[in-house]
Amino acid sequence: MWMSEKREKSSSFDEMEKYLEEIGALAEEVMASAFPEGPSWNTKTCCLHALSNVFITPREVIVTADLPNIEPETVKVEAINENLIEITAKMKKKVRFEDLGICHRQGEFSFLRCQGRVHVAIDTEKMEISHEGGILEVRFPRKKIHKIEDV
Amino acid sequence: MIIGLPDVGLVGLIATAYLISELDLEEIAYMDSDLLPPVVVLHAGLPHAPLRMYGNKNLIAVISELAIPAPAIYTVTRELVDWAQAKNVKRILSIGGIPTENRQTIKEPEVFAAASNQELLDTLTKSGLKTLNEGYIVGAQALSMRYSISKKMQSIAILAQSFYNYPDPQAAAIALKELSKISDVKVDVSKLLEKGEEIRLKARDIMKRTQQEMKRMQKSQEYDLPLYV
Repeated sequence: MWMSEKREKSSSFDEMEKYLEEIGALAEEVMASAFPEGPSWNTKTCCLHALSNVFITPREVIVTADLPNIEPETVKVEAINENLIEITAKMKKKVRFEDLGICHRQGEFSFLRCQGRVHVAIDTEKMEISHEGGILEVRFPRKKIHKIEDV
Repeated sequence: MIIGLPDVGLVGLIATAYLISELDLEEIAYMDSDLLPPVVVLHAGLPHAPLRMYGNKNLIAVISELAIPAPAIYTVTRELVDWAQAKNVKRILSIGGIPTENRQTIKEPEVFAAASNQELLDTLTKSGLKTLNEGYIVGAQALSMRYSISKKMQSIAILAQSFYNYPDPQAAAIALKELSKISDVKVDVSKLLEKGEEIRLKARDIMKRTQQEMKRMQKSQEYDLPLYV
């Protein structure tokens, strides 16, 4: 019997590019958590950044997000890539800086958005979504990356 | 004196800020410290220290609009308790949250209390509050209780079940309801509940920064089970 790891077949150039992308994204994440200086909004995309958490258990990955003031039926959960989940939802009504008491900036926001980085393989097709008390919870079963093959 | 500093679910801060607004308390003092970030908060165009005290002749309320850096928490809390003693404060009451897993499935969060001595604890129980019998309290609430005891001042901690790092106005409202059972501070929390979603949107930034400080002070120890044989 041999332990085999499932991997997509691709050129070494693709592999290298993929690793570099991953390193870049990881570095960005580390920097973001060490120096969270960026704003929690984006006027270009009309998004406010939602607070979120990622919990990794032996069997599943649970991503939660605090989504106040949204229309629950507009929630979208998307796998940007194997390791990055994006959650967006349309707000019940647009929020302007002015509504938040800010007069020295201009812009309005229609969406709440957050991204969760997942460092383990997950099955995005089997995700389960629930929305309770304003908190969105998305559960992904973890993919088995090893299997035993009979010879 | 009621202390509501940024902590788990921002419960104490939200509750105390609402109290200040509802009781129309006046700003009476502020903390100036080299240990705090060089920040002023502008409200209606005027600068305010982020950590400040409001009050009337019967009550003092302390809030901070910035996350207290973990290394500063000892000095800041000690200074607050010393100041309270100098002002002849009878009792220090801190409001906070207990991080609770699956909080979103809890319709009505429970509130627990701890007190600096048995007599006070009995009073809380008689007033209908549940007591936090075993567990850890970490951060400003823990220190305000410790320093109060060393100064022989009465101290109570009120802790509502809440999200760990999502702002929790509902938990703040329930903590205020429980507070009314043990004090003359009574406010209608319906506006706080109505404004819940707006507060959650506005509080994202301070929650994020508070989360970093909670991590630094090992706040997650509040999940631990204490060993006392």
